[in-house]
Amino acid sequence: MPARDYASTRYSGLAEINTRTAPRLHPLWTFSTGVLGGHEGQPLVVNNTMYVVTPWPNVLYAFDLTKDGYPLRWKYRPDVSPNSIGVACCDSVNRGAFFADGKIVYNLLDGHTVAVDAASGREIWKTKIADVSVGETLTMAPTVVKDRVIVGASGGEFGIYGWVKGLDLQTGRIVWTAHNLGSDADMLARPGIFKPPYDSGAELGVSSWSNGSWKVGGAPVWGWISYDATLDLIYYGTGNASPYNPEERLGDNKWSASVLARRPEDGSLVWAYQFTPHDSWDYDATGAMIVVDLNVAGKLTKALVHFDKNGFAYTLDRATGRLLVAAPFAAVTWATSVDLASGRPVFNPTQQTGVSKGNVKHICPSLEGGASPSSPAAYSPRTLLFYTSTNNLCMDYEATRASYLKGTPFMGVKSPYAPGPGGNLGAFIAWDATTGKKVWEDKEAYPSWSGALVTAGDVVFYGTLDGWFKSVDAKSGQVLSRFKVGSGVVGNPITYRGPDGKQYVAVYAGIGGDWALLAGDFRSDDPADVRLPADFIKDIARRTSQGGMVWIFGL
Amino acid sequence: MNAAYRRTLVLLLQLAACVAAPSCKSPANAPAPAAVASAPAAMRDDSHLAAGGGVPPGAVVHNPHSGNAAVAKSGGALFVAMNCNGCHGDDGAGWVGPSLADGRWRFGGSDAEVFTSIYYGRSKGMPAFGGALGVEGVWTLVTYLQSLPVPAALATESWETQ
Repeated sequence: MPARDYASTRYSGLAEINTRTAPRLHPLWTFSTGVLGGHEGQPLVVNNTMYVVTPWPNVLYAFDLTKDGYPLRWKYRPDVSPNSIGVACCDSVNRGAFFADGKIVYNLLDGHTVAVDAASGREIWKTKIADVSVGETLTMAPTVVKDRVIVGASGGEFGIYGWVKGLDLQTGRIVWTAHNLGSDADMLARPGIFKPPYDSGAELGVSSWSNGSWKVGGAPVWGWISYDATLDLIYYGTGNASPYNPEERLGDNKWSASVLARRPEDGSLVWAYQFTPHDSWDYDATGAMIVVDLNVAGKLTKALVHFDKNGFAYTLDRATGRLLVAAPFAAVTWATSVDLASGRPVFNPTQQTGVSKGNVKHICPSLEGGASPSSPAAYSPRTLLFYTSTNNLCMDYEATRASYLKGTPFMGVKSPYAPGPGGNLGAFIAWDATTGKKVWEDKEAYPSWSGALVTAGDVVFYGTLDGWFKSVDAKSGQVLSRFKVGSGVVGNPITYRGPDGKQYVAVYAGIGGDWALLAGDFRSDDPADVRLPADFIKDIARRTSQGGMVWIFGL
Repeated sequence: MNAAYRRTLVLLLQLAACVAAPSCKSPANAPAPAAVASAPAAMRDDSHLAAGGGVPPGAVVHNPHSGNAAVAKSGGALFVAMNCNGCHGDDGAGWVGPSLADGRWRFGGSDAEVFTSIYYGRSKGMPAFGGALGVEGVWTLVTYLQSLPVPAALATESWETQ
């Protein structure tokens, strides 16, 4: 599965590559996917086969790891509409596939979920679950729990009515649909089952939105889903409230920018906690929710750890949603702290945005967040530390009136970026979630946008936006190896034991995602799309252009 | 600009200023643009290759407001009101959609081609705006886009001091 396990630890017990041997790490194989575009997500290795999903047009490759040169067993080329590209806000990315019951299950950008036979590559079922005409697309990796395929839609920039759906694994039939806002009935918030830790009362998904604004309120689901089998709860974050001008939707705007816990079988909402009430800064909470038992203040706790776009790292009790720790892991100016008793942030009143506020200057983090949700963190049970990419960017935010026109962007903002304190645009960090403290930090010239991987060899792997794939010491952050992989890394490394028993590491190269919008001068493939460099990220185009490669490294 | 065109522009901007109240969610509830003229049929672009050298019949259509600065200014307001900037960036500089300010056109830069791109939409995600804007609205946007200044040395990006 994408994050290696349901807990989303991205931790591997393999130790052949370790702090002593990692300096010898070198590339062994590479394959061009044939697609240019942001290669987010990660390969899957199952039964000596490596499965790769590309950005649109969402080709699925199956490589035979038992044969020299890893030739393909098959490739699946779905019929996927190019028109969906027009309503994908942030590049036509795909965050990966899930293997379950002999099937590879993944999403197509144009709103379909597909299951392909993992042995033969034949399509088993394809279900339309999202409506491109209202601005819904699919970019996330599904999660499969028992016989439920769980998927959500992107579209927070298009004013969608955000949801998550449960499909039947065998047939692809939609079994349940749960909205993240709106009425209790639409949210599957049932009396006696739904118990949010800091709120009470019915119809919170309506009463926290002025003038029916929940109908175009966003709260998309495009990140990662974790699962605790003992509690039988799936955990996922919701994206921004829509539009970007918050004065068109007064109130807390529940449950945008929140973490929701649901029962996978029928979608019932069990608890919800909102990281950023009345989101006024595009602080999507769709980043990974890592399920770990941690010793917090002397007590072993069933915890959930999350690095939010809003710049705070949260440790929650995953049974109830109660907040245990919240501390900034990046520069934060929109709030001074998060109050543990109420669970609410202490807002900085000068950083509130909206048309009446004009141009609000120097808000940190930027729209990219302290960490991007598409850069999932990793956890090591050996070091007891979390590892994550981070951005060091701030912004000005000038809201404008947003006009809703179905199928077009519903936003209303001008938000130029500037570097955060220190001038480096990013960093890769190690974090102690029991105390809320940074343990080490590797500064990066560019925003750090890859996911993280940590192993029993005490090695952490990540890639940089200008295309360096690095291994570093999990205890100190010291660089052990690095190699320039041909294009910026916005995907997530994995490691596996090959058929020969040796340890391998695999990662995609192919810059994109938000950077396709923000740093468009790195593009090269369309002579009719020539852009000026962005002033806050000069030089990125000097170091990378578009790409699409799978790399495998070994000793 | 003539009175009929001014009336159309007012209606267009009212449509676009429709705020996100649920009652306004569907353009059907908003004032409909008065069609000043139907979209011309069979527009031809002479920059395309003609197989065998024979050019197909069809009108070569020109922008009726070409070079009109006032119309270009209205087009700039429409560009924001219709959310074009949400995909193409402020001032058409490029965002998730391609740059419209580089003097280059993926689907052709003739009046007819730019009109067609906006009115009927294009593959890979450009929606059709003709239904929402009508012919005059689209020509207004074309006039705005054609007025955008193109940086002189756009083709070369260099990181070396001269």
